[in-house]
Amino acid sequence: MIVLNINGESRSVDVPDDMPLLWVLRDVIGLTGTKFGCGIAQCGACTVHLDGAAVRSCVLPVSAVGSKAVTTIEGVGASAVGKKVQQAWLDIEVVQCGYCQSGQIMSATALLAATPEPSDAEIDVAMSGNICRCGTYVRIREAIKQVATGQKVAPQTIPNVAPTASPAAAAAALLSFVRVEDMA
Amino acid sequence: MKLVRAVLALVAIVIVAAVAFTAYAWFIVRDGKETGAPQPAVAGAPASITDPIARGEYLTRAADCAACHTVPGGQPFTGGLAFKMPFGTIYSTNITADKETGIGDWSDDEFVRALHAGVRKDGQPLYPAFPYTSYTALSRDDVLAIKAYLFSLPPKHAPATPNELSFPFNQRWGLSVWNALFLKKERFQPVQGKSEAWNRGAYLATALGHCDECHTPRNAMYALKSSQALSGEVLQGWKAYNITPDKTYGIGNWSEQQLADYLSKGHAGGRGTASGPMGEVVQNSLQYLSQEDIAALVTYLREAKPQQGSAGTEVNERPALALASTANAPGAEELAQGGLGQHLFQGACAACHAWNGQGRQVEAAALLGTQAANDPEAHNLTQVILQGSTLRTMHGETSMPSFGQAYTDAEVAALGNFVLVHFGGKPATLTADEVAKRRTP
Repeated sequence: MIVLNINGESRSVDVPDDMPLLWVLRDVIGLTGTKFGCGIAQCGACTVHLDGAAVRSCVLPVSAVGSKAVTTIEGVGASAVGKKVQQAWLDIEVVQCGYCQSGQIMSATALLAATPEPSDAEIDVAMSGNICRCGTYVRIREAIKQVATGQKVAPQTIPNVAPTASPAAAAAALLSFVRVEDMA
Repeated sequence: MKLVRAVLALVAIVIVAAVAFTAYAWFIVRDGKETGAPQPAVAGAPASITDPIARGEYLTRAADCAACHTVPGGQPFTGGLAFKMPFGTIYSTNITADKETGIGDWSDDEFVRALHAGVRKDGQPLYPAFPYTSYTALSRDDVLAIKAYLFSLPPKHAPATPNELSFPFNQRWGLSVWNALFLKKERFQPVQGKSEAWNRGAYLATALGHCDECHTPRNAMYALKSSQALSGEVLQGWKAYNITPDKTYGIGNWSEQQLADYLSKGHAGGRGTASGPMGEVVQNSLQYLSQEDIAALVTYLREAKPQQGSAGTEVNERPALALASTANAPGAEELAQGGLGQHLFQGACAACHAWNGQGRQVEAAALLGTQAANDPEAHNLTQVILQGSTLRTMHGETSMPSFGQAYTDAEVAALGNFVLVHFGGKPATLTADEVAKRRTP
C-alpha cells in the first residue's frame, strides 16, 4: 500500500512501486484531467506538481513521490496563482483542442509561483517542454503575462463577471459581448 | 664481411629463440596448473547459500557471464554478441549445455581448464576477449559451481558465428605466445594482514567481477598495464572511469553509501548513474550481490593504489553556470547568449534534467557532479545522447530516450558541448566529425 497526498487528500493505492504516477492518477484513482502524451517526458502533457514543482508524471515512479504533495489539474485552482492562471486561460481562451492544456497550466503555474514576473525569454525556456500541436503558444505567453502584470493587453474572449453577479447578469454580459463581436 | 656474418648470426639466434619460445608456449598452453597449485581458501558465494545450483547462479552473476554470452533480448548464455576490435570482430559462443553447439559434452576438467588456461575443449587457445586472465584466479569449486548452474538451464541449439579476424590474428596458435607472456596461471591467494572483507572484495573484483578488464588501460599487445590498474580506459566508445581512491581523479571523495548505492543500484546521489556497459554490469551482475559482498568490494576499491588522471578531467562540483540557474531557467546572462546547444537542451532535456542539474522527477537525471558531464572528451555523454540509457534493476526502471536518430552530428555536438560547459565548467571541444565517428564505435 502506498499513501499519496493528492490535491490535499490522502489516498491509499495498492500498486507496484515502479508504476508511473500518471497511471496511478488516471487508471487507479480516476483523475483523468492529467493526460498521457508521449510517455518519455518529451511533451509535457502529463505535468503535475510535486511540492509545487512541475514534474512529468509519465516517468515518475510512484514510489519516488514519498510524502511530497501532488497537485493535479483538478486541484490547481485551490492556490491563488493557479486560480489566476485558470482565469487568464479562460479570459483569452488559450485552449484550442485542449489535450496539452492541463500540462500547460501546470507548468505555467509552477513558473509563476517561482518567478512571479518572468521575462519573455524565461517564459519560453520554462514552457518549452510543453508541446502544443495546435500552436497556442502565443496565447499561452499572453496569458502568463496577464497573470504576471495584472494587465489585460490581449483581446479578452469572456468579459469578467463580478462573482456576486447573478447567472442572469452573467448571461447578459456574455450576450452583449457576443453582439459586439458579431458587429465587428 | 665479418659484420654481415655477425648480423646473420644474430638474426639466426633471434629466430631460434623465437621458435623455441613459441614451442615452449605451445607446449604449456593447455596446462591449467591444476596439480600442485594451491587452491584458494575462499569461496565466491556467501556461506548462507547452500544449494549448489544457487551458489552457481550467484557466481555466474558475480562473474557476469551473461554480459558477453547473451545478445540483447536473446536467450541467456546462447552467445552471438559481437566484439568489434581494431583487428576484426569476435563473437561470443553458446555456453548452454547443448551437446552439439554449446558445452554439453565438456567434462569438468575441460571446463575448469577453459577458465584457468584459456583453451577450449579441443585444446585450441581462446581469444582473451574471454577474461580467462581474470578467471584463472577462481577456485576449482567455484568454476564447477558455475558449470553446474549453466548445465541446469535449458540447452539451446545455437551455432557459433564465425569470427571475422584478419591475418595474423586469425591464427589461434599465436595466442599461446600471448598467454606465455601475459597469463599468470595462478589461483587467488588471500593476502595475509589484510582484512577478511578486503580479501573477499579482492576475489570478487579480480577473479569474478574482472573490473580490470575494462577499467585498466592496455598496452600495444592488448595486455593490461598493471602499473596503471583501474585508472580508466575507453572501449567500444564508452569510458570506464578511474575507480581508484584518488580524491581528484578517482572515487576517493565518494562516501561508503555512494559507492555501495552505485554498485548495487546503479545510481549514487550527487555522483551519477551507471549507463552503457556499466549499466549492464549493475543490471546483470552487481545488483544480485549480497550487501556484505558490496561492502567488501567497496573496502577493496578504497585500498587500491590511487592513480592520477590528466589535468582537466577532474569533476567540477561547483560549475558556475549550473549554480546560477534555477530548475526552470538558466541565469539571465547565459539565457541571453542563446545558441543551438542551449536551444536543444531547453526543448528536449530540461524537463527531466533541470537547468540547475538537480534532476526533476527521478534522481537518476541529476547531472551535477557526474563524470559524464566532466569528461572533456565527452565519451559517455555522447553515447548516452546517441543511444539513450535504460537501467533495469529490482529497484525499478529508469530510462532516457535516444536522440541519435533525431539529431544531426552537429546538433549532438552542440548539445554535448552545452552540457560540458554548463554542468562541468569544461571547454566545448566536441565536434560534429567526432560525433559521426562515435555513431559506429
